[in-house]
Amino acid sequence: MRTLFDIRAGAGLLLAGMLAMSGCSRGTEEAPTQLELARATQGVVSGLLQRRKAAPPPAFSRAQLETVGLPITGFVAENRDLSAYFFRTEARHDATPGLIEVWLSGDQKSSVTTRAGLVIATRGLGDDLLSSTVPMAGSGPAPGPLAQQIRYGDNRERGLRLRCDLADLGPERIEILGRSQATRHLQQSCEGAGGRIVNDFWADPRDGFLWQSRQWAGPGVGYLQLRRVIK
Amino acid sequence: MTLPIPLFPRRARFRQVPGLAVAALLSLPILTSPGRAQEIGDTTRYLPPEIGSETPSFKPLPPPSLNFYGVPGVIDMPSGQTAPDGQFTTALAHFGGQTRVTLSFQATPWMGISFRYHGIQNWNMYGFETYYDRNFDVRFRLMQEARFRPEVTLGLQDFSGTGLFGAEYIAASKTLRTPAVWGSARDGGQLVVTGGIGWGRLGSYNNIGSFGHRPAYDGSTNFGGEPSYDQWFRGPYALFGGVEWRPNDRLGIKLEYSSDDYVTETQKTAVFEKKSPFNFGVEYQWTESSRLGLYYMYGSEIGASLQIQFNPRQPLTPMQQSAPLPIKPRRDWAGPPEAWTTDWVDSAEVRLSLRDRVAAELTKSGLVLESLELSGTEAELRYRNPRYTPAAAAVGRAARALAASLPPSVETFRLVPVANGMALSAVILRRSDLEALEYDGDAAQALRAVTAYADAPHGPGAGAMPGPDLYPDFSWSLAQYFAPSYFDPSLPFRLDLGVDLRLSYRPAPGWRIAGKIRQRVWGNVKDGRASNSVLPHVRTDQDKYAQHGTTIEELYAARYWRPGANLYARISGGYFESMFGGLSGELLWKPVGSRLALGIEANYAIQRDYDQLFSFRDYKVFTGHASAYYELGGGYKTQLDVGRYLAGDFGATFSFDRIFANGWSVGGFFTLTDVSSADFGEGSFDKGIRFRIPLNWMLGTPSRSGMGMLIRPVQRDGGQRLDVPGRLYDQVREAHRSGLDAGWERVWE
Repeated sequence: MRTLFDIRAGAGLLLAGMLAMSGCSRGTEEAPTQLELARATQGVVSGLLQRRKAAPPPAFSRAQLETVGLPITGFVAENRDLSAYFFRTEARHDATPGLIEVWLSGDQKSSVTTRAGLVIATRGLGDDLLSSTVPMAGSGPAPGPLAQQIRYGDNRERGLRLRCDLADLGPERIEILGRSQATRHLQQSCEGAGGRIVNDFWADPRDGFLWQSRQWAGPGVGYLQLRRVIK
Repeated sequence: MTLPIPLFPRRARFRQVPGLAVAALLSLPILTSPGRAQEIGDTTRYLPPEIGSETPSFKPLPPPSLNFYGVPGVIDMPSGQTAPDGQFTTALAHFGGQTRVTLSFQATPWMGISFRYHGIQNWNMYGFETYYDRNFDVRFRLMQEARFRPEVTLGLQDFSGTGLFGAEYIAASKTLRTPAVWGSARDGGQLVVTGGIGWGRLGSYNNIGSFGHRPAYDGSTNFGGEPSYDQWFRGPYALFGGVEWRPNDRLGIKLEYSSDDYVTETQKTAVFEKKSPFNFGVEYQWTESSRLGLYYMYGSEIGASLQIQFNPRQPLTPMQQSAPLPIKPRRDWAGPPEAWTTDWVDSAEVRLSLRDRVAAELTKSGLVLESLELSGTEAELRYRNPRYTPAAAAVGRAARALAASLPPSVETFRLVPVANGMALSAVILRRSDLEALEYDGDAAQALRAVTAYADAPHGPGAGAMPGPDLYPDFSWSLAQYFAPSYFDPSLPFRLDLGVDLRLSYRPAPGWRIAGKIRQRVWGNVKDGRASNSVLPHVRTDQDKYAQHGTTIEELYAARYWRPGANLYARISGGYFESMFGGLSGELLWKPVGSRLALGIEANYAIQRDYDQLFSFRDYKVFTGHASAYYELGGGYKTQLDVGRYLAGDFGATFSFDRIFANGWSVGGFFTLTDVSSADFGEGSFDKGIRFRIPLNWMLGTPSRSGMGMLIRPVQRDGGQRLDVPGRLYDQVREAHRSGLDAGWERVWE
């Protein structure tokens, strides 16, 4: 996946580079195509240069994160070069059961929305999960149908329908940023749409709260790892 | 819930059949074939997972490979295969002194079109050392592949040119799955077996019969460019065939028997020597979109090819738009609805500060506030969208800006996209729907169901607050330009490049004064062919115009307004393009929900001096058209323009374009006027193809810009229209019902 992205970025760079020089603009008009290309090329070049010497993301301690005063989830997008702490910007309910929480990255460019801890939407990650209906019972994952709407290609959405089973893999002790947590490991296997996905959840044995999970957010975004650092 | 029927892609109607029948059907070994899975547009068909993964995938399977003519095929022979819907391909192939560059587009699932530029070295005939030719092909799928039947295609090659490459064929191909070897294959190895029958060039070797008389092309009476239907499927016919084995997703091995005897190239002149009808080749998928091939051709020549395939539906970079901030339900921050007062509306100060908040929110999303009108329960926002290609993405951001800024009593949002001061439509949303549906399982469709569309009132109401410090609005930009010129026989590709300074001044809504000053830095268009046209030289003096390095490309004033319901108007005056200036007026009728639009345009055009500064030449003409635009649905658009052209000729232009929601468009046009083919010259009548590649597709960031290209096989003077900047239809269409629908899925992004 990484090499694929590199090829795409490379192709984009080449196309842009063929036409790009430099320029400038001011005002409310749309910038001319050539200028946008030139800017994008500069962006891609600097991005490639930065990636080459990219430092690992800064390691925050739990104490530092606690000073923010907001619930925080650590996200890893396995398909993307993304590993970051997202801050909760919204917690609300709607007509469907389950607390909705919107998690926003520090640069405010990406967000992930969960319902009772289950991923129902992503934004700003590319080929995003637009919306979904997740099988849940009470406050956690359940067997049943999973429906996802994915933005795809030509600004369209495509639906995916899968049927999920749930297995309880028993108690498991996990560690999240230096804190040990007793959990039950639940595994949801879903089949359909020509493939198979496996979602893993580590739930609090007392109230079912999801401390950690690995969930699939559609063919574009792929698997996301979620670790609830600050409750 | 809809049943997923992965094995039965094109028979969606069976979903209506009662459950038992569906179950019975699904238990049958249903007709399926690898060929079908390549329909990218087919949303009911699920593809196999990608290699090394078991998760569902939307990534299409590798498309059919291309032949030397840039159409699905073996090596020099065509196959019965069809490219995926919308596929846009470029093929570069060379062997035995012949170079072919082909652009192809799968315009519909069943029809593909191609344009080819063909060069033959060592021609040494008819006064050409190297011979260049332009061809158009069209291919029709007659039968789709299924388990026990092949895919069958009927093709017309070079159907309107000089006929030198003219051929007609019916080819059938069957794809068989083989075990994958020497590498991984997502859907198994593939063996494609092709057989066909060809006429013309493809009936020239070892013919098995003849059908009627195929008249020869006569260059003295025929100026080319007209469909040579008197030749189609006439004369000797022969069989051809080949196999392609793709043992894995990278490698392809090809073998064919060619029915092209290359009579002209090898017998009338000596471009190469043909020793055998058999060709062999090996191809390698270099990147996801490009494939390289090496071949041994006709027993004597080495050939090479590069195939590049894109699909407008497969962005080069996945679209990554910054996340929006969530809509906060009013009951979470404003208390119960009974407490939502409308007292604030009486304070002008409060309303102005609300406008400033909305304007700031819009700016964050790249939108421009034109005006905001507030009552206690309603808001009408007029905004400009310089950033997002689907109008719906801007609608969503505008709605969020209102929801984030306005007092809780405002329940109805009227969102009015504006272009050049003209209100294009009104999208009416309820704030409570936005709050309720943001996290719905099918959020985009749920919101679509409760959204209303209307024609927008002509101007903002009396109480509307204009955008803060928006007018007068001055913008400028400095950017490089590239101006290519094609198909000069002495040098097929010429280019000018330099910088453009663009200026735009909007003194008030609906007014625009704009200019473009160009400085050439380098170029060789000025060395091009001098015109030999017998018509007024309205377009063919390109070389004379290219002699000057510092030019005013455009300098004009335009006024846009809404004269009535569903009506849009423009009047402009000045220097419109490098060759003409004058006065231009246009009126367009287009209801928001209508597929049909009607327009009328009248121009008084004066030819500009070659130096493209302020002076004019003596040639003046009244030109204008009545136009009908019709959207066929699915992004297909047709246009008919009837009227008088720049050379004073009368006639009509027919255009057909396919527009994708991300801004890709591919299309073609032809113009027939009262100018005879002899007076028109080479090509007989005006025609061309055009395409536009949007930057958002290339770069994955929101943008409305794109790179366009218009290719005419020959630029002549007949059937030429004035290029007036800012014509109405395209700016209006995208914010109307079909334009909003096309990208509606992005409304929540």
